[in-house]
Amino acid sequence: MKQVKRILFGMLFVFSLAGCSKAVDKPNDENEHESINGIELIFSESGGPTKSFMLEDADGDGGNPPSRIDTIFAQPNKQYSVVVKIFNIKNGVSKDLTATIQSQGVSHEFYFIPTKITAVIQKTDRDKNGYPIGIQSNWQFSAMGSGSILLKLMHKTALKGPNDGPNVGHSDIQISLPTIIK
Amino acid sequence: MVLSTSFAQPQKCKIFLSGVVVDASNNAPLDRAVVEIRELGLKFITDLEGHYHFYNLCAGNYTLVVNHISCDSISLKTQIQRNIIKNFRLPHSFNELETVSVSAKKDILLNTIKEELSNKIIDATRGQSLGEILKNVNGVAVLQTGSTIFKPVIHGLHSQRILLVNNGVRLESQQWGTDHAPEIDPFIADKFTVLKGAGALRYGSDAIAGAVLIEPKPLPKQTGKNAEFNSTYFSNNRQYVFNGMYEASPLNLPELSYRVQATYKKGGNARTPDYWLYNTGLEEFNYSATVGLRKNRFNTELFFSSFQTSLGIFMGAHIGNLTDLQNAIQSSKPTQNIDQFSYDIVRPRQSVQHYTAKSKSQYWLPNDHKLNLIVSYQSNSRKEYDRALLSPRPELDLNITTTLVDLNYESVNTKRGQYSFGINAMIQENVWTGSRFFIPNFRAQNIALYATQALSIHNWVLDGGVRYDFRTQTIFRNNNDAFSSSKRTFGNPSGTVGATYKITPNLRWLINSAFAWRAPQVNELYINGLHHGTASFEIGDPNLKSEKALNFSSQLKYQLDSSWQVDLTLYNNIINDFINMNPSTPATLTLRGAYPTFKFIQTNAILRGLDFSMQKNINAHFSTGAKTAFLWATDRKTNDWLIQMPSNRVEGNIRYTFNTALLKEASIDLHLLHIMQQTRIPQNIPDYLPSPAAYNLVNLDFNTDLIFGKQKVNVGLSVINLLNERYRDYMNRFRYFNDEPGRSINLRCNIKI
Repeated sequence: MKQVKRILFGMLFVFSLAGCSKAVDKPNDENEHESINGIELIFSESGGPTKSFMLEDADGDGGNPPSRIDTIFAQPNKQYSVVVKIFNIKNGVSKDLTATIQSQGVSHEFYFIPTKITAVIQKTDRDKNGYPIGIQSNWQFSAMGSGSILLKLMHKTALKGPNDGPNVGHSDIQISLPTIIK
Repeated sequence: MVLSTSFAQPQKCKIFLSGVVVDASNNAPLDRAVVEIRELGLKFITDLEGHYHFYNLCAGNYTLVVNHISCDSISLKTQIQRNIIKNFRLPHSFNELETVSVSAKKDILLNTIKEELSNKIIDATRGQSLGEILKNVNGVAVLQTGSTIFKPVIHGLHSQRILLVNNGVRLESQQWGTDHAPEIDPFIADKFTVLKGAGALRYGSDAIAGAVLIEPKPLPKQTGKNAEFNSTYFSNNRQYVFNGMYEASPLNLPELSYRVQATYKKGGNARTPDYWLYNTGLEEFNYSATVGLRKNRFNTELFFSSFQTSLGIFMGAHIGNLTDLQNAIQSSKPTQNIDQFSYDIVRPRQSVQHYTAKSKSQYWLPNDHKLNLIVSYQSNSRKEYDRALLSPRPELDLNITTTLVDLNYESVNTKRGQYSFGINAMIQENVWTGSRFFIPNFRAQNIALYATQALSIHNWVLDGGVRYDFRTQTIFRNNNDAFSSSKRTFGNPSGTVGATYKITPNLRWLINSAFAWRAPQVNELYINGLHHGTASFEIGDPNLKSEKALNFSSQLKYQLDSSWQVDLTLYNNIINDFINMNPSTPATLTLRGAYPTFKFIQTNAILRGLDFSMQKNINAHFSTGAKTAFLWATDRKTNDWLIQMPSNRVEGNIRYTFNTALLKEASIDLHLLHIMQQTRIPQNIPDYLPSPAAYNLVNLDFNTDLIFGKQKVNVGLSVINLLNERYRDYMNRFRYFNDEPGRSINLRCNIKI
C-alpha cells in the first residue's frame, strides 16, 4: 500500500505542475471586513462638556464578543444633542462610514429604545423624503436610575415610511448600551 | 439495421413483440442488450441467445431503443398494430461515433439501483430547473431556498454527497452551499438517470448518496440537419423560457457532426395564494457547442458550455439577526415585503457563471478493446450580495477552477463478462475575493485508480469494482497580512459489488453493496462566518475525519410487459463519522445582534428507507400509477433523528390517452401528491418553528401533438397546484418566512424540424 501511495503521490505532483496558479497562494486578509465594527455616540449639551461613548468589536463578527461597550453616563432633565458615528476599524485605523449611511438615508433609520429608564428622544435629521434618519437626535432623561438603551440601525430599502416601528427592515446594528442617569 | 416480420392477429392490448439482437459484424447473438420501449418506459435485457419479448402491448406508435455495451445504440420509431417480430443488428461501435448515452452506461455498473426519467416527464417539465425535474424520481426530494433554488436530495442526502455528472464530467462548483443550486441547463440533456447508492466509481468515491447522470442525445450519425425549438411560459411568476438547438453532419464531411444550443429564461416575483414574494425573480442565459469527429478506430468530441444565472433572494427572508428572525416567525405573512409583481432583481441576490470545456476521445485497439480519454476544465464564479450597501463589492465572491483527467481501458464484452480499469486525476483551486471571509483559498488534488469487472453466470449477473483515492488539500490563510498554509492528506479505498438474479422471466432481484468515503470539504473544515439566510453563525472544525459509508440496497422488479410494473427498493446506508451541522453554545455576539452558533461535528448515522412504485395499464386509454418513498434517518450516537430529512410522501396519477383527427397521441394526466408532516425531528436540537403540516397538491397536465402539413408540433398545458393550496414544506429553508407559490398555469411548445 505504501508503494501505491508513493506512486500516486508522484503522479499527483507531476499533474499538479500543469495546473497551479499563483493567486491561490496570496489570499486576501481575512480580517479586512467592510463591515461596521465600531460605533461612537457623542453627547453634547449647550454650555457643557462633550462626552463620547464607544462600542467596538475589534475582530469583527464572530471570534470574540464585542471588545468594548462603554456605559452611558448622563444627567436627568438635561437636553443632549447626540450624534452617532459608525466605523470600520482595522489595525487601529478607523474608516468613518457615517457619510455612507447618511447618503443612503432613504434605506436606513436609527432607533434608541430605553429600558428601565425614561427618555424622550427626537431624531432631528431627515432623508430626501423627509423621513427621520437618527444620526442626529436630541435626548432628555427624566429621572435618575440605571437601565439600558438598545441601539438599532435598521436597513429598509423600499420599505421605509415616516413613522416606522423599530422592527421594520433588517438589523444592521443591534446592541444594548448600559446607561446610568445620576 | 432492423428486420421485421408481422403476422395477422389484431387484438387491442394483447400484442406480442419479440425478436433477437445480434452483432452486425458477425451475427453473434448479443446477450445483455437492453431493448426499450421509450413511451412505456419498458425495458427487457436480452438473454444469452439475444432474445427479447414484450407481451400485452397496445397498438400504437412506439420508439424502440436498443443498447449494448459494445455496440452503438439503435433507435427506431415504429407503428405496432399486430403481433410482430423485430430483429436488430447492432453495428460495432468503432465504425460510428459512439453515443454519449451508451458510454455513460458503461460508467455505471449494471447492478446499480437506478431510475431514468421517462420522456413524458421530461416533456412535461421542460423549462423547469434541474432540481425540480429530478424530484419526479421516486426517492429524490429537493432542498429548497425560496422559490428559485432547488438542490436534489437522494435518500435524504444532498450537496457534496451527490455527484452530478453533466455530459460525462462531474460538476465542480461551490456545491457545499445549501443555497447553491447546480449550474446545469436541463435543456442540454434528453436523459436523466438517478443512481441510488454509491455506484459511480469512475467519477469519484465521494458520492455516498448517489449520482445523477445528465446526458445529451448523441450527435447525429447521418448526414443532414435537425433543429428544435422549445418555449414555456409559467403564469405564477410570469416566467418565459426559450430554447433552440441546431445540429448537423455535413454532406461533404460525414465524419463530422456538431450541435449548438442556447437557452434564455426570465422570471419575476413568485406569488403565494395570498401575496407576492418580492425579489424572487431570475434571469438565466446558457449556451453550448459540441463538435464530434469519427475516423475508423478513433473518435473525438469537443464540448463547451456556459451557464449564467442571476437570482433574487426573497427580501423578507434576508434577516439581520435572531430578533429579526423571531419577528418574521411571529408574523403569519412576511412583513419585510413589497406585495407586488416585478421582474427586478435587487440585493440580496446571487450571480453565478459556470464554464465547462471538455474533450473526449476513444480509440479501439486491434483486439477491439478500447481506450477512453476525457480531459475537462471547469471555471465557476459565484458572487453573493447581501442587502448591505456599505460596499458595491459582493460580500461573497468565490472563484473555483477544476481540471479533470480520466484515462480508461475497457475490454471487449464477451459472454463471460467485461472488465475496465482506469486512472483519474483532479486539481482544483478556490480563490475568494469578496468583502467578507467565509471559506479560505485552497488547492485540492486527487488521484485515483479504479477497476471494474462484470460476469454472467446462468441466471446471475455479477459485477463489482474497486477504487483507491489519494487526496491532498492545502489551504492558504492571511491574518493581518501574516500568510500561512496547511496541508492535509487523505487516502481511502472504496468498492462496490452487486448481483442480479432472474427469478422468473418477469421478476428480477437485484442486490448491491458499496463502501464509499468522502473527505471533509473546506467549508466543513474552515468555514467561519455569518450565514444570513438562516441568521446563524457557522464554524468549521479543522480536525474532521473522512466520512465512511456502507450501503446495502435491494430491489425487486416485476414487469409483466405493458400491463404491470412493480418496483420495490429497500436501502440501508450506514455512515460513520457523518459530518453534520449542530447548534452550539454560546450564541455569537456581534454589534449587529446575537446569532445562534452552529458547528460542524461528526456522528454515526444510519439512513434506511424504501421506494415503491407501480404502474398499471388498464386498457388502451387508461393507465394509472402510484409511488411512495419512506425514510428513517437516525443519529446513532445520540439515538435521535437527524435534522432536515425529507418527510414521507405518497403520490398517484391517472392518465387518459386518446387520438382525434386534430390531436395525436394526446394525454390528460391527473396527479395527486401527499407530503406527510415530518415528525422524525431531533428532540435535542431546537427549531424556531415546528415542522409544517402535511399537505396535498393536485396537478393536471395535458399534452398533445398537432400536425400542420408535414410539421409536428408538441404542445402542453399544465396546472401546478390546481387548488391553489396554501402550504409550507419542511425542506424549504425559507419555511420560516413565507408560504410556497400558489397555482401556476404553464404552457409549453416543442417544434422539431
